Amino acid sequence: MPKIAIVGAGPSGCYAAQALLKLDKTLEVDILDRLPVPYGLVRYGVAPDHQGTKAVARQFARLFERQGVRFIGNVTLGETVTLDALRAAYDIVVLALGLSKDRPLDLPGGDLGGVSGAGAVTRHWNDHPDEAGQLPHLGNRVVIVGQGNVAMDVLRILAKQEPDFDGSDLHPRHTDHITGAGVAQIDILGRSPAHLAKFDPVMVKELAKLEHVRFALDGLELSEGHEDDPRVAALAALPQDVPVASHEVTFRFGWTPERLSGTEGHVDAAFFRRGDEELGLSCDSVITAIGFDSHIPGLRDDLLARAEDAETGVVDKGLYLAGWFCRGPRGTIPDNRAAAQALATRIMADLGTLTGAEKPGHAALIAAHPDLTDYDGWLRIDAAELAACTDGRVRAKVADLETLLALASGRAPGSATPETEG
Amino acid sequence: MKIKLLYGTETGNAEMLCEDIEAHLEGDHEVEMANLADTDPADLAADTFHLVVCSTYGDGDLPASAQPFGEALEADQPDLSAIHFAIFGLGDSSYETYNQGSEKLAALLATYGAHQVGDRVIHDAMGGDMAEDLALPWADARIAQAADLFAET
Repeated sequence: MPKIAIVGAGPSGCYAAQALLKLDKTLEVDILDRLPVPYGLVRYGVAPDHQGTKAVARQFARLFERQGVRFIGNVTLGETVTLDALRAAYDIVVLALGLSKDRPLDLPGGDLGGVSGAGAVTRHWNDHPDEAGQLPHLGNRVVIVGQGNVAMDVLRILAKQEPDFDGSDLHPRHTDHITGAGVAQIDILGRSPAHLAKFDPVMVKELAKLEHVRFALDGLELSEGHEDDPRVAALAALPQDVPVASHEVTFRFGWTPERLSGTEGHVDAAFFRRGDEELGLSCDSVITAIGFDSHIPGLRDDLLARAEDAETGVVDKGLYLAGWFCRGPRGTIPDNRAAAQALATRIMADLGTLTGAEKPGHAALIAAHPDLTDYDGWLRIDAAELAACTDGRVRAKVADLETLLALASGRAPGSATPETEG
Repeated sequence: MKIKLLYGTETGNAEMLCEDIEAHLEGDHEVEMANLADTDPADLAADTFHLVVCSTYGDGDLPASAQPFGEALEADQPDLSAIHFAIFGLGDSSYETYNQGSEKLAALLATYGAHQVGDRVIHDAMGGDMAEDLALPWADARIAQAADLFAET
């Protein structure tokens, strides 16, 4: 039986496994992740107040619970195991590593203190172990650069009040931090006019429900003649006449960022240009949401350069790329589902032509690395997080990697196995 | 009863729910399942009860896999007056356009004469219910309601 390893347990990796098993349910599929928890972007990138979107994880859980897929956690490509070693152990290797690094704001002052990437901030709010110690600096006045859906997630979380997080899994320490910062004024800027902005109109409609926010619009006139565009219509419907507001949110269109200024190494203003106009906004922090790059750019560039079919994600017969790691930071979770189906079809065709000896698969990995975790380990983490949950929340995530690993291995308090309970 | 489960999906959640319903009904009924993307409106059959599961996507739109079906309905304008269906919607109340996909699909089917059996039941991804906890009783109830229509002679 051919053995398949998918590296990355996020939505693209899980959809790839699902699509492969749809074509042949007898395939032996392992999904590897560097963390002891699965679901990648669903757990760490989708905003904590979008539990409906995170519910797609229920589909992926079936892979492990009913369809025989093996989860292997705590394995980092290039550290725990090299790509060559993985290819030697498996017939097929699919890299679904995502694009997790914020594209930096390449401008004067872009490296000042108080400037954070939206991906890192979102991971922090989602309790990703890598960002657990990095408390983003906020302050009263926040400038968000970029107007895609990630920028809108950051804006919404900054503009919400504690009761608005009911039903989320945003840990109260984050709401305390946001409230403590006293965020009161948020400017969100983009280069495009509103009708060409990247956000989905539903994201703006969702904001309109926040009764304590007064909205203002700058540059909507650039969309003259596009009043019927759903983005423009959603923006025009935002409440602007709010007598008592705790937060002011201003959407500004057509502004290109030029530079950031600072005092004592910390950002204090952001400057933008629109034709002959210059705009300077005093601020306490800047959050950039201008796209994502790979955390291992060298490997990705190299694989794409020698790919037989970069669009589908075929590097060569036996090595494939999926999701954003393949196609770049564009497209939603379901877009990756469609792409995974095309990739699976190609992998099945290549599988038919495989020759050579039986590969050892996970046995080789586990023999060399006794610290790897499994799906039962994730279930212990899951149970501990659900048990620790406080009022108004659906989960209390563990942000500390050592604690996650201890829970996964059954060593931590609260990770009682059925044996010890019995 | 001959039952056809049809799903309109974007993320795969509606498809998974249809698989659950299929497993639940199998044995008691003659069940088939299909993606709306692979379904021609002209092939809907009068002797079959159609159970439709449909999500919502984007700005209250039909999900990707239901869009070609919706377009075919509008282009072909088939006579569906002999067709019976029930519908279950998946949505997310975070959004203003909550469950508009299933609402649009039900309205489209009705426009061309199809008869809806019972009310549309909707699931909220932000709520505490599991979709299958609502959908399996929905399927049982609608099949009971449709029993007379498909009484075997």
